[in-house]
Amino acid sequence: MASFATMDVASIQAGLKAGEFSAREVAEDALARVEAADKQVHAFLEVTPELALAAADKVDAARAAGTLDACGPLAGVPVAFKDNMNLAGTHTTCASRMLENYVSPYTATCVQRVLDAGALPLGKLNMDEFAFGSSTETSAFGTTGNPWDLSRVPGGSSGGSAAAVAAGMCTVTLGSDTGGSIRQPGCFCGVVAVKPTYGVVSRYGVVAFGSSLDQVGPFARTVRDAALTMNALAGRDPLDCTSQHVTCDFTANLDKGVDGMRIGVVPEFMNARGLQPEVKAKIEEVVAKLEGMGARIEEVALPNVHAAISAYYVLGPCEAFSNLARFDSVRYGYCDPGHKDLGGQYEASRSRGFGPEARRRIMLGSYLLSSGVYDKYYYPAQQVRTLITRDYAQAYEKVDCILAPAAPRTAFKFGEISEPAEMYLSDMYTISINIAGNGGMNMPVGLGAQSGLPVGAQLIGPAFKDENMLRVAAALETVYGAAPVAPDFAPAKAGE
Amino acid sequence: MKKLEEVLEDWEAVIGLEIHAELTTLETKMFCGCKLEFGAPPNTHTCPVCLGLPGALPVPNKAAIESIVLAGLATNCDIEKHSMFYRKNYMYPDMAKNFQTTQGPIAFCMRGHLDLDVDGAAAKERYRLDDLAVGETEDNITRTEDGYVAHVGITRIHMEEDAGKMVHVGGGEGRIAGATHSMVDYNRAGTPLIELVTEPDLRTPEEARLFMQKLRQIYLAIGISDCSMEEGSLRCDGNVSLRKRGAKGLGTKTELKNMNSFKNLHDGLTYEICRQAEVLEEGGIIYQETRHWDPSVKRTIVMRVKETADDYRLFPEPDLAPYDLSDAFIEGVRAKLPELPDQKAKRFAADFGLSAYDARHLVENLDVAAFFEEAMAAAGADALTLAKPIANLMINDVSAYLNAHVDESLGNLALTPARAVELTKLTAADAISSKQAKEVFAAVLEEDKDPGVIVDERGMKQVSDTGAIEAVVDQVIAANPDEVARYKEGNEKLIGFFVGQCMKQMRGQGNPKVINQLLAEKLSQA
Repeated sequence: MASFATMDVASIQAGLKAGEFSAREVAEDALARVEAADKQVHAFLEVTPELALAAADKVDAARAAGTLDACGPLAGVPVAFKDNMNLAGTHTTCASRMLENYVSPYTATCVQRVLDAGALPLGKLNMDEFAFGSSTETSAFGTTGNPWDLSRVPGGSSGGSAAAVAAGMCTVTLGSDTGGSIRQPGCFCGVVAVKPTYGVVSRYGVVAFGSSLDQVGPFARTVRDAALTMNALAGRDPLDCTSQHVTCDFTANLDKGVDGMRIGVVPEFMNARGLQPEVKAKIEEVVAKLEGMGARIEEVALPNVHAAISAYYVLGPCEAFSNLARFDSVRYGYCDPGHKDLGGQYEASRSRGFGPEARRRIMLGSYLLSSGVYDKYYYPAQQVRTLITRDYAQAYEKVDCILAPAAPRTAFKFGEISEPAEMYLSDMYTISINIAGNGGMNMPVGLGAQSGLPVGAQLIGPAFKDENMLRVAAALETVYGAAPVAPDFAPAKAGE
Repeated sequence: MKKLEEVLEDWEAVIGLEIHAELTTLETKMFCGCKLEFGAPPNTHTCPVCLGLPGALPVPNKAAIESIVLAGLATNCDIEKHSMFYRKNYMYPDMAKNFQTTQGPIAFCMRGHLDLDVDGAAAKERYRLDDLAVGETEDNITRTEDGYVAHVGITRIHMEEDAGKMVHVGGGEGRIAGATHSMVDYNRAGTPLIELVTEPDLRTPEEARLFMQKLRQIYLAIGISDCSMEEGSLRCDGNVSLRKRGAKGLGTKTELKNMNSFKNLHDGLTYEICRQAEVLEEGGIIYQETRHWDPSVKRTIVMRVKETADDYRLFPEPDLAPYDLSDAFIEGVRAKLPELPDQKAKRFAADFGLSAYDARHLVENLDVAAFFEEAMAAAGADALTLAKPIANLMINDVSAYLNAHVDESLGNLALTPARAVELTKLTAADAISSKQAKEVFAAVLEEDKDPGVIVDERGMKQVSDTGAIEAVVDQVIAANPDEVARYKEGNEKLIGFFVGQCMKQMRGQGNPKVINQLLAEKLSQA
């Protein structure tokens, strides 16, 4: 029997429509795959079979009543959510001891929209603690393996979201991206991973890291599945006043090809120190393929983008410091027992509830915002932000989309990078896009010549024109094919 | 400790106020849809946003922005079209997010002012006011006939959210000291709050009290808050420092809390000024500290010493976009501005010939002002002659009655505008004496009858008939030859005795004016 969880959205829905299988069968099969594969991968922090089966039964009831089409564009599709997204009645741990026992009373808008689109929620996915990290190694509840090589990290912080799709446990997952946390794990795990323009997807109910940088987006194995999910996610939410009205159909341009499109290449990116030769070679190959399909390649300059990491490690920790202040042990979350005074309880609970990277960022933000220091760092960082935003805006006067590596290298081994500053460099190609606010995505473009591991091309679109990058990605998909399930987890073909 | 007036001989007090008003007339909280309701069971008006649950985001309440713009326009502020919310970071359990959303250097309302009319007893606290001639201006005051006008700058009015309410259990009187545990009610968390900060332009406790009163009248007039000082929807902190008369620099200030009534505000500031003077005169130093006014012992007590300025790590709130107010929005709000107390007082004075003092006191209370206007309408052609007596009735009798009966309101009294007109007409026509008028006023409230009916029932007609009074006067003069003799020897004070005797005979119904006049005539002839 073919595994439904490795099908794309269209084939699941075609099967449901044709009566070849039921949504319940899809859910049961997906849950069985999770049961089997996650023993090795450990992408899930919580599995929610009751919710998945209940959602499936709703789809099946609609199918029986002949109203399947009204179920939504993701009807019957197995999905899962990064564990910083609230789903009422389930844990939202952010992979932190601090929230180990926290059960949310409400549901995030992005989660609700995917559920309203008929998806089957399998559970919650591992991540770096509070999204602080690029390898999912800072999770308080164990690491997640990269399905392509279980001795390697899946990237992060949305490592669980990328691994779950790469291992064929889910058709679609959601992650969040503050500095590359969707695109970099998407790259390491070889799946399509979209960070939309800031404001396209509501952040309501997603535990905040850097409020001005965070954005939710989908992981999938095909560009069309990602675009369909974007259609469900995007648009104004009255509960998030930074969300915007979005009316476009993200699937509309997928078949248009790149003929006549102007695609930018950034010399600063391609010549950067630290870019692995196999990655560089792949990106150059992609340039050639795009040119071959009729795209016009233009060099564009982003003169201030070198300052992005510095600005990011000011703005991100400042916002995180304030956003994480609510985890104080008083009403929920880890509370160190036996303290007689409030200050002592705060200090012990926060020291023990947060892991080292979370504490590092809180301390950093607390320092950077303190009086006398603020003017030296926070304010210049905002000025840098303005310059980088302008750089991108000017670049898009010349081109429709920018091509860059998604990460400077392929997935590294557990423990290979222990210096925080070195870890931060794995986001060198993604951070400036969060700073500027526009959309970026990872498109898998095959395996590295040396490592044999997935390499990702990053497509970066103008603000609120995320359909541009999806169009280029779809064109690349015709060359490289849909992202495969990692070989060790590919289901046996029917008849084998 | 010296008295205030002695202290103010040598010292000048520099006072600034910070006044918080909860926008209680709004339906919902500042950043979520929870209902605003005072006194609801604890934690029944809460949601993920005001509880600061992980992932929740704020959405500003547009009606609250309208309210603060209205407050700014009513206090002569510039409305800043471009302003931002900021996060003020500090940890305390009454604030679920551990930061308060407030505003940064630029608030919605900046650079306003109010002019205070200070007269009567209130003007006496101002040092050497008599050195100024009427119309003369010095510092921020201008001398008037019966006092002065103080021009008080408003630095800003900004928007912020209130915290929850802590309840400490096990200690004395809900205090934290000695408490065994604490509870938090988040119903109040996220209540829209506007904070007005004055310039340090106030010089006397009376000015501070008058400022607070005037601001309260304005906020009530524009309808943005119920301004209940008892329930805490209007709260005031004061900053006080002293400097030697003639000095220009500022002394170290203390911050006073818990001045939750006009009297407490005045008394707390008075105490603190006198305390500081005593410390300074004894060669001591004033510490920058927060002090709590305890009205039961009439002292201010140190709450905490500020060794260093608090570091709130203020930064722009990234969850809320910068706020851009359009001209159309501001003009729309301006169109909603009702007549303000000052404008109303001017109109009353101009239309009905009232003194500035009477007009000002009439407009102190919206209901009183409305009552007065209805009475003027009911008086018709007599409005001009009855304005002053009706104003007196409102300012003296009605106010005194309402102050003594806090459960009652003007709207519930048996005294209607029509009855007020009838009562003052009776007095004006000499049909009853002013003393009788007081009795009729009390009877109207007691028996819910028209003044004319009460006068008839009680046979309270004032006798102004000269013939009838003359007979009584003759009788009294004849019956008291000794007093007449002493009067004629020059003891003119005895006229009071004769009037009293006449009144007694006439059972209080004689017209005192006529009695006086006839007595004077007859005694000089006797």
